[in-house]
Amino acid sequence: MKILIVEDETGLRDSIEAYFTGSDSICETATNFTTALAKVSVYRYDCVILDLTLPHGNGLDIVKHLKEHSHNDGVLIISAKNSLDDRLTGLDLGADDYLTKPFHLSELKSRVTAIVRRRSFNGSSQLKFNEISIDLDAKVVRVNEAVVKFTRKEYSLLIYFIANKGKVVSKSAIAEHLWGDSIDIADNFDFIYSHIKNIRKKLVEAGAKDYIHAAYGMGYKFTDA
Amino acid sequence: MKLLTKYNRINIGLTVIIMLVTGLIYYYTISHILTGQIDKDLVLEENEVFSYVSKNHRLPDVYESNHQQIIFTPLKEEKIKRRFLDTTYHDSDEKDLEAGRALISSVVVAGRNYRVLVTQSKVETEDLIQIIFLITIGVIVALLAILLILNRVILKSIWKPFYKILLQLKDFSLANHASIYSTPSNIDEFAELDQAVISMADRVKSDYQNLKVFTENASHELMTPISIINSKLDTLVQTDEFTDRQSKLLNDIYGTVSRLTRLNKSMLLLAKIENGLIHDQSDVNLKAVLEEALYQHEELVEQLNIRLTINMHDKTVQANKSLMEIMCNNLLSNAIRHNHQNGELSVYLSQDKLIINNTGKGSFDFKQVIKRFHKSDGSEGIGLGLTLCKQICDNYGFTLSYQPDGKLHTFLVIFNNPNSLQY
Repeated sequence: MKILIVEDETGLRDSIEAYFTGSDSICETATNFTTALAKVSVYRYDCVILDLTLPHGNGLDIVKHLKEHSHNDGVLIISAKNSLDDRLTGLDLGADDYLTKPFHLSELKSRVTAIVRRRSFNGSSQLKFNEISIDLDAKVVRVNEAVVKFTRKEYSLLIYFIANKGKVVSKSAIAEHLWGDSIDIADNFDFIYSHIKNIRKKLVEAGAKDYIHAAYGMGYKFTDA
Repeated sequence: MKLLTKYNRINIGLTVIIMLVTGLIYYYTISHILTGQIDKDLVLEENEVFSYVSKNHRLPDVYESNHQQIIFTPLKEEKIKRRFLDTTYHDSDEKDLEAGRALISSVVVAGRNYRVLVTQSKVETEDLIQIIFLITIGVIVALLAILLILNRVILKSIWKPFYKILLQLKDFSLANHASIYSTPSNIDEFAELDQAVISMADRVKSDYQNLKVFTENASHELMTPISIINSKLDTLVQTDEFTDRQSKLLNDIYGTVSRLTRLNKSMLLLAKIENGLIHDQSDVNLKAVLEEALYQHEELVEQLNIRLTINMHDKTVQANKSLMEIMCNNLLSNAIRHNHQNGELSVYLSQDKLIINNTGKGSFDFKQVIKRFHKSDGSEGIGLGLTLCKQICDNYGFTLSYQPDGKLHTFLVIFNNPNSLQY
């Protein structure tokens, strides 16, 4: 997928670019409003990762520009402002999703993947990973055509892993993904462990390979390597 | 008490007292003057008697006229002191008693001493005084009525700017953008008040605006470095293999960063609620919110082997959904975090209240706990959870209370005022 990262903070932009660049993505970057506007006017992207507070302009105007020209690029707004006004305006204008800073790169990747998937599959919502196929509408996971039952959290975690395949996903990111950052659950790393254990067990018992690997006590990595 | 009422009370009270005093003085003065007039008549009559006696050496014939009587009574040895007195006058025509004024004197006729009693009716004087009195009363009443009406009209029109300003002040709110309009007045005090109110409102608004901008900026400025740290950490963990010690350190940093994030977000949220900046309201199904919150906490409940009792009825509130989620999550998370192994937790939701009841260690001082950054021993939280709950409840007119009962802690949210507006 082709992605445009519009972010003025070098540190953050570089990290996002590094995280996204790889097996299946091409990344371009823009550091200010003018460049960003120039790029979206000329090129089409699967998804634009858009910061709202930019030098020389407001990111929302880029969303407006895209909609006015009927460009179908996906837009994910990333902003430190979590005021509900911005969120609503952004979504009203046609942004696909909104992620409040700070976020985990794995969360960003999972959201971007979801947006791109929704846009490119045009309603057919099958996600395939080797022998695992997931019906995203019905939320049903099949391994070699046999249905495997997952709990809501396990299902959500599996999708998250597939979106971040090949990357180490930290426990902190998993915890925030599953419980949200407003919930402060002590010892939630233990719960993560038991959820992961269940997913692995269910997949392996259904005949899939064991794709989830623990990564040096830091987190987990979903990979078929 | 209204200004008009107060003003009228004082004004009319004083007017009545002054009028009454004036009336009394008036009455006594007139009555004194008229009595003096009668006394002069009496003396005149006496003098006529004396001159008649000295000329004719006999008593004059007694006849009655002009409401006047003269009576001569022969005296023996006693002396008569000449004096005026108030008496009654017996009118022979009308045969009734009238108030009268008399002069007692004595005259010597042919060596014999006579008492002379000259009496004059005061009925005309009385009539006169009565008329004067009635006119005075009439004037007082008319004056009072005019004063009342005048006060009402004048006060109403003069104080109009004041009430206008007051009304605007009452409706003044930082959250909405309406500003205070100038209320022109040709009365210096009101014009000054108007100016003062307007400049105060402008100042408050601009201060508030600055604060809001500062809060937003502070959030932005803080969140950006935090998100860079976060993303760098995410990038770092992709790079290489780590030793146990390194991954322990990295995990600690992750934990701290996420705690910093939560703290910052909570503070911002608190500031927003306090400033009434959250307007986005909808019908929120509290039962669904609680069910979701319970689902999010299911691992903890299982881990502590807490016996969960749930009795929830449908309840919809007009509120912001995120705030309701935060409130339910915080209350539940407290009830679980401060619970013990094999403890109990019950959640009861009805049309008018939410009760969360849990077993736990010791009791605490609710007033202390809802203060910012208060933490009980061993608490993992950031110390803003209950403060947030309290603020959210206040915002929507709910009442949050805490009742300790030995080892049982009860948090109670009463939705007593569904129509309560947020400011």
